[in-house]
Amino acid sequence: MSSNQDDAGTLGLNFFGSMTASISHEVKNVLAIVNENAGLLEDLALLAEKGRPLSPERLKTLAENIHRQVQRADGIIRRLNRFAHSTHEPAAATDLCEIFDFTAALVARLAAMKGVTITIVNQHPVPMKVRPFVLENLLWICLKNLFAVTQGNQTVALATEDLGDQVVITLQLGEGLPVAEIGAQTASEGQSLLAALRAELSTDPEHNLIRLQMPHMQDQ
Amino acid sequence: MRVLLVDDEEELVSTLAERLAMRGIEASWVSDYRSALDIVEHQVFDIALLDVRLPEMNGLELKRLLEERCPAMKFIFLTGHGSEEDFRACSAESGRDYYLIKPVQIEVLVAKLNEIFQQ
Repeated sequence: MSSNQDDAGTLGLNFFGSMTASISHEVKNVLAIVNENAGLLEDLALLAEKGRPLSPERLKTLAENIHRQVQRADGIIRRLNRFAHSTHEPAAATDLCEIFDFTAALVARLAAMKGVTITIVNQHPVPMKVRPFVLENLLWICLKNLFAVTQGNQTVALATEDLGDQVVITLQLGEGLPVAEIGAQTASEGQSLLAALRAELSTDPEHNLIRLQMPHMQDQ
Repeated sequence: MRVLLVDDEEELVSTLAERLAMRGIEASWVSDYRSALDIVEHQVFDIALLDVRLPEMNGLELKRLLEERCPAMKFIFLTGHGSEEDFRACSAESGRDYYLIKPVQIEVLVAKLNEIFQQ
C-alpha cells in the first residue's frame, strides 16, 4: 500500500469514527424521547387507575410522538447504513448534488452544534464518476476545519459547476471567517484525498470561497 | 424544589418537565443556552439539568455562566453516552458524580434531584 493510500485509509477511519459517534448520539436522543413518552403514558395510566380521567386525545398525541421518533430513528439508521456501504463502493457515476445532500445530512447534527447551516445551491444534477466516500471525506475535513474556527450563526453554501472535462465544487463561507487558513488546513490534512481525486484546492478570501477543481472522470 | 431543564431536544425536556410536575417537582425547560441565560434573570431555580452537548455552547461552559449569575444553583449533567471523557469533565464540573446517561429513568432522576436539594 502506498503512503497516500495509507493516509487516505487513516483519514477514512477518522471520518467514519466521527460520523458514527455523532449518529449514535442522535439515536440516543431518539431513545430518550421515546423513553419519556412511554414513561408519560405509564404515568397517565397509573393516574387513570386512581380515578383521574384519561383523555383519548392525550393518548393519541403521545402515540404520534412515539411514531414520529421511530420514523426519525429509521431515517438515521438508513443514513448510517448508506454511509457504511459507501466505504467499499467503487468509483461510479454519481450526481454531485446527491453527495452534497447526503454529506449535509450526515454532518447536520455536528453543524448545528457549531451554529452552522449547510445549504445546497445547485438546482440541477451534475454527474461525475467518483468514489462518494472519498469526496464526502474531503468535504468533511473542510467543514470540520470551518467548525473549529466559527463563532456560530454561519451558513455554508455548496455548489458545483460542470466545466466539461473538469468539475468545480465551491464552498461559499460566511463573512469574517479565515478562508485561507481553513483552505490551507484542509489541503494539508486532506492531501491524500486530494491526490486520490486528482483535485486542486484553492481559496478566494476576498469572496469567502474555497474551490475544489478535479477531472470529471475519476478512476480511483 | 425548582428545576431548570436545558436540552435542544424540546420534546425530551417538555415531557420530562411534565413527568417531574406529576411528582411534585416544579420544572421549567428551555432548548438553548441563550434562553437558559435569559430565564435565570427572571426566575429562581435550585437545580439545573444540563445536556452536555448543547448547540453552540456545551453544557459545561453554560454551567460556568449560570453559576456566575446564580451562585447557589446546583447542577446535574445529562450525556448521550457515558464516555470516560464526559464522566471526567462532568465530575470535575459538578464536584460529584452528578451526571446521568440518556435515556434517564425518572425515579433515578428524582432521587438525584432530592439528594442534591437536601444538601
